[in-house]
Amino acid sequence: MTGRVLRIELKRSVAPWPGIVVLGGSLAIFCLYDGLWWRGTAGWTAQWTSMALWTRSLLTFLWPLAVGTGAVYGLREPRSRMAELLTTVPRPAWRRAALPAGAMALALASGFGLLVLVGGVQVALGRTTYTPLDWLPISLVAALALVAGAVFGMGVARALPSVLTPPGLVLFFLMLTALLQQNSDGTLPSSIAPNRLAQLLPVTAEPREMLLTLSGSVHLGQTLWLLGLLATGFALLSAVTRRARLLAVIPVLAGAALALLVLPAAARDTYVVDKAAAALVCDGPVCVTQANRSRLPELARRGKEALRVLHEVLGDKAPNAVREDTRLRAIADKREPSGDVVLVDFDDRLLADATGEKLTRALIAQGLAPSCYGNNDREGGGRGNVPVQSVAVSWALHDSRLQPLAERGSDPYLRTIWLDADVAWQRLTALSPAEQRSRIAELRTAGLSCAADRQLAVLAGKATR
Amino acid sequence: MRWLILYGRSRQVPASAAAVALVALAVWTLHGPGPVDQAMAVLVLTANVAAASVGLGGWDVVLERTAAIRWMPRRAAHVLLAGACAGAALLTVQAAGVQLAPTEVVVRDSAGLVGLAALGAALCGAQFAWTLPTGWLAFTLFGPPPGGTAGDVVMWMISSPATTASTGTAWALFASGTVVYAIAGPRR
Repeated sequence: MTGRVLRIELKRSVAPWPGIVVLGGSLAIFCLYDGLWWRGTAGWTAQWTSMALWTRSLLTFLWPLAVGTGAVYGLREPRSRMAELLTTVPRPAWRRAALPAGAMALALASGFGLLVLVGGVQVALGRTTYTPLDWLPISLVAALALVAGAVFGMGVARALPSVLTPPGLVLFFLMLTALLQQNSDGTLPSSIAPNRLAQLLPVTAEPREMLLTLSGSVHLGQTLWLLGLLATGFALLSAVTRRARLLAVIPVLAGAALALLVLPAAARDTYVVDKAAAALVCDGPVCVTQANRSRLPELARRGKEALRVLHEVLGDKAPNAVREDTRLRAIADKREPSGDVVLVDFDDRLLADATGEKLTRALIAQGLAPSCYGNNDREGGGRGNVPVQSVAVSWALHDSRLQPLAERGSDPYLRTIWLDADVAWQRLTALSPAEQRSRIAELRTAGLSCAADRQLAVLAGKATR
Repeated sequence: MRWLILYGRSRQVPASAAAVALVALAVWTLHGPGPVDQAMAVLVLTANVAAASVGLGGWDVVLERTAAIRWMPRRAAHVLLAGACAGAALLTVQAAGVQLAPTEVVVRDSAGLVGLAALGAALCGAQFAWTLPTGWLAFTLFGPPPGGTAGDVVMWMISSPATTASTGTAWALFASGTVVYAIAGPRR
């Protein structure tokens, strides 16, 4: 009986639509745009946690949408003017409310579940070998948020049966999202609102740092709050008396109060580094994080070769290890280059997809002329450093002419730098071998102290000392 | 006069007006003196337009169509008035000291949004007319911005009023929405 009614609900009402929109809309955004979600180590198909966080960050518009479609669905009985007739049915009100709510929940959960499945299959087929289960609660809370939002919308629409209710709810939730949303430009994602309050919004910031994940207390607090919202929605949906409607507000208030007690007050307890993912795996002097383990064999081979070249060129001052950079950085923040270690950032354009000879060159470049600013799809701050690095690498590998590490491009600013680099290459190669060595050592010192603007001048021998 | 009152009642004007007033009051009380906040301005405008859009159809669309009056100019006038009221409500709040967006942005956005709402009423019925402006707003606020002219077209609500593409999009939406709604009326 229940199964048949549920089937009829799914066939004959708007219930399946939110599920279809959740799946179709999200995939349209992910697949039609060549956005940041396809790039870097925190892409939506790169790692399990990033996949869960990217799909969850779509709740910015999926959540208001779920609330709105719930409200539209909840208006069905008032709209057909049969509410009075239905009160004569001998079934208890909550049992009548359970079926449409269940149909809606089923549609939303399967729509979101399929989205996660699409992402999950791509991650599983991808290069990562790190398979944690910590990402599951992130997606489960997202599904719960969608269901709770939809049922809440249904309940509110039943309590306030006006055509203005659905647009009002959607716009209210959009406004909440806009006010409380976190952005990930800082070291840790943060919102302008106090952290506890911002966490009541089940929307996460777009992931940028691959190692960050949500802490357990966030999952717990959000689950409590969303269960309260769900309970209130369902109570409003099945309430027949005014007193029951007033009492229905209690669960959401209780849920919010409990959640505010559990949720962390500071951003550093909200987003935490996934220790298992960040653990270093080493092959001799070359270390990467557990999450990027699949890159280790290639990096180890090329890294050792790069270290050998660096040792030849720099002598005792040469770095003796290659390590993945795991420090969290805000956008456009400086790196902390070190003289002993070649730091590797797999988001860096030079390193991202480099293999073979190209990877060796990129590693030598990082060792000889370290770049302090990120040269990746979000920042592009280290782009001006690439010509300098190219000169240094070509020199170290005894190339007959300057070999660019990256496309020269058509950007007028970069073109001048490349022309300067050509001149610097000519002047450098014209010097005696001993002078060449000291010039490169100077270049490296300038790089380590983050004086990127001086590096070309140093190379060309125009440094003002 | 009597016709207007009856028409206004059938279009739920009191409820819409109350909603618009409520939004204006909320903005005025909650928003402190701060810099121009365009996202909040488009949110308020969309709320106003969504509130007005429920009146783009009456209680019984089929019955209304049988009335021997010329609906076309009346429907067009309704859309124009709804847009004007939505914009005017925000401008009034701005006159009271809350600075949200420049006037030309308010005019452009209320025109585009009300056109979208009219289009929504013609395509999905007055009950769901709000879905088009609200959906576009959600994409504008949280969606990924495409680059170049396409970006100006898609993000017309928050683009600079100096860009021809965004202004053109807004007025094209306004014109097409008004024309389609005036000719076809709300969907049954």
